[in-house]
Amino acid sequence: MLSETATEQLKQQLESLLDRCQPICAAVVVTVDGYTCAMKQRTTDQYSLERVATMGSTLMSLGDTMTAELKMGSCENIISENQHGIIAFMHINHNLVLVSLTTETNSLGMLLSHSRKCAENMAKTVAV
Amino acid sequence: MDKIIFTGPMGAGKTTAISAISEIPPIATDVRCTDEESQQRKENTTVAMDYGYITLEDSSRIHLYGTPGQERFNYMWTILTNGGIGLVLLIDNARPNPIEDLHFYLDAFQDFIRSTGVVIGITRTDVDSNVTLNEYYSALMKRGQVYPLFEIDPRQTQDVTILIHALLAVLSQQAAA
Ligand SMILES: Nc1nc2c(ncn2[C@@H]2O[C@H](COP(=O)(O)OP(=O)(O)OP(=O)(O)O)[C@@H](O)[C@H]2O)c(=O)[nH]1
Ligand SMILES: [Mg+2]
Repeated sequence: MLSETATEQLKQQLESLLDRCQPICAAVVVTVDGYTCAMKQRTTDQYSLERVATMGSTLMSLGDTMTAELKMGSCENIISENQHGIIAFMHINHNLVLVSLTTETNSLGMLLSHSRKCAENMAKTVAV
Repeated sequence: MDKIIFTGPMGAGKTTAISAISEIPPIATDVRCTDEESQQRKENTTVAMDYGYITLEDSSRIHLYGTPGQERFNYMWTILTNGGIGLVLLIDNARPNPIEDLHFYLDAFQDFIRSTGVVIGITRTDVDSNVTLNEYYSALMKRGQVYPLFEIDPRQTQDVTILIHALLAVLSQQAAA
């Protein structure tokens, strides 16, 4: 669906997300129907990101379904706060979802703000 | 809570079947397909689940859950079958190899089927009738698993109702045995 150049740019944007925000240990871009487009993690092979990415598309669609049911507009993000880390899911646009995660449970603010900024930039990248 | 699960390959008509019989507007989690191969077949695909329910004559409620068909969502298969009482397997007769699909889903859900029950609905036979019901029967015979088998159109409320009743009959027979 995405051109090679767009995919390459997404990869670079994931890289700079991890560069700019130290707590984030992995991030992945996935289509709304569960195909991984680009992924980056600090420690190679720490996570099997592809499966997590597909689950991200599932969760995002549940979030969208719930907010529509409650007439709350569009779902901005879904946050999963866990004993050993936080996962954030957010739309880049109608077709793409960004999943980012940190093992630092006190870094929710940084995770969200950097990921949101990154998602906005990515939306511009894939729009052109 | 009585819960029946609809599964089968992409495009077999799980979402269609649940919306055909549900008494409430079904909850669907369909999104646009992004890969070309799927787009040629249909516009949307389920990525989380379908949900609806029906009420039987004895006023008991049957909850209906549809799985995503595509294999990369198979974690949802495990989640959705949890606590289910039986399986409706829909097979799209117009896919390249429906008999292979039959084997694949019977294998993937074998533990659930063993502890509950299954009925099989063959769909889209109006689109492609190359594979006949007899071939499905022989495939089932070879497995030593003779399950109820119907040709159905999931867009027709009555067709889907027949499947549900057949499944409930299988389950009550098993309970009696
Ligand atoms: N002509 C014909 N069309 C059918 C029949 N059964 C289903 N369809 C159509 O085939 C499509 C099935 O789509 P869905 O119900 O979304 O399929 P699904 O099994 O939920 O697919 P996934 O969620 O992607 O796994 C719909 O457009 C139906 O109208 C049939 O027996 N004949
Ligand atoms: Mg569906």
